[in-house]
Amino acid sequence: MKLTVNGEPHEHRGAGTIPALVAEIEAELERVAVMINGDIVRRGNFDTVRLREGDTVEILTFAGGG
Amino acid sequence: MMKDKPLEIAGHEFSSRLIVGTGKFSDIETMIKAVRSSGTGLVTVALRRFNREDRADDLYGPLSGIEGLTLMPNTSGARTAQEAVRAALLGREISRSPFVKVEIHPNPHHLMPDPIETYEACRLLVKEGFAVMPYIPADPVLAKRLEDIGCASVMPLGSAIGSGHGLRTAELLALIVTDSGVPVIVDAGLRSPSEAAASMEMGCDAVLVNSAIAAADDPEGMAAAFARAVEAGLAARRAGLMSAGETAAATSPLTSFVAEPT
Repeated sequence: MKLTVNGEPHEHRGAGTIPALVAEIEAELERVAVMINGDIVRRGNFDTVRLREGDTVEILTFAGGG
Repeated sequence: MMKDKPLEIAGHEFSSRLIVGTGKFSDIETMIKAVRSSGTGLVTVALRRFNREDRADDLYGPLSGIEGLTLMPNTSGARTAQEAVRAALLGREISRSPFVKVEIHPNPHHLMPDPIETYEACRLLVKEGFAVMPYIPADPVLAKRLEDIGCASVMPLGSAIGSGHGLRTAELLALIVTDSGVPVIVDAGLRSPSEAAASMEMGCDAVLVNSAIAAADDPEGMAAAFARAVEAGLAARRAGLMSAGETAAATSPLTSFVAEPT
């Protein structure tokens, strides 16, 4: 499944779920926020949302900031 | 006695009146040591894209290991109210806390907050149930308007972010303190612990420090110094400063028994 993840083309080979994608890019589910095509996915919906061909996904973490 | 209670923001009590920003540290270990040394219960963090090649900046794990620490995501990078709201909603998914620092500064040259977009973002985020803490210009009118719409605190700047110019806005901060019914937190520009103490002496409720700690030779030591300065300033405020006079007032008797007899 072709996705755009954090601005880069990404070939997803997993189950098409957020946990599968997050694991694929070696991030930790507990530490990320996710947006699909501009819509924020609540943490409680991580398991139920399905990714689709062509989706634009943002996977964000905390960094240092003032 | 004034303010003889812990700092309370949106119903949450914080034993420390020092809030620490986590940016600009040389590495995570140094930052964690400084946060611990500061005694703070509230730190700011920023959001950014996950980068597999650069994990050194993924702070949720290390910070969540500090007991009792609340994480407050900022909306850095947002140029409009809508962008700030989106950043806040995303940040909450990681922080699991209602606190958000609204910062909208469209001009990278001076990083001055946009009061109009900030106001609108705060209005929307209060409705979303956030404990909204806006970074603002030291404007007493704006501060009051933000309090009126339900912000949990106001965070006026002492001087430009990262400038180390200290309390350039002191007179305006004093006006904000006089009028405010929510905690006033000096955010940005502080360089030295004495400025943090001065902020507390003038009646501010807390200070937010990042660069002054992160860019010190010894961030852990500087964090401790700021913690003590904040305590000293608060103690001085509670003790009541003497009024300043225009002329000298002797502290010792001036009777001239040592004068030559005439």
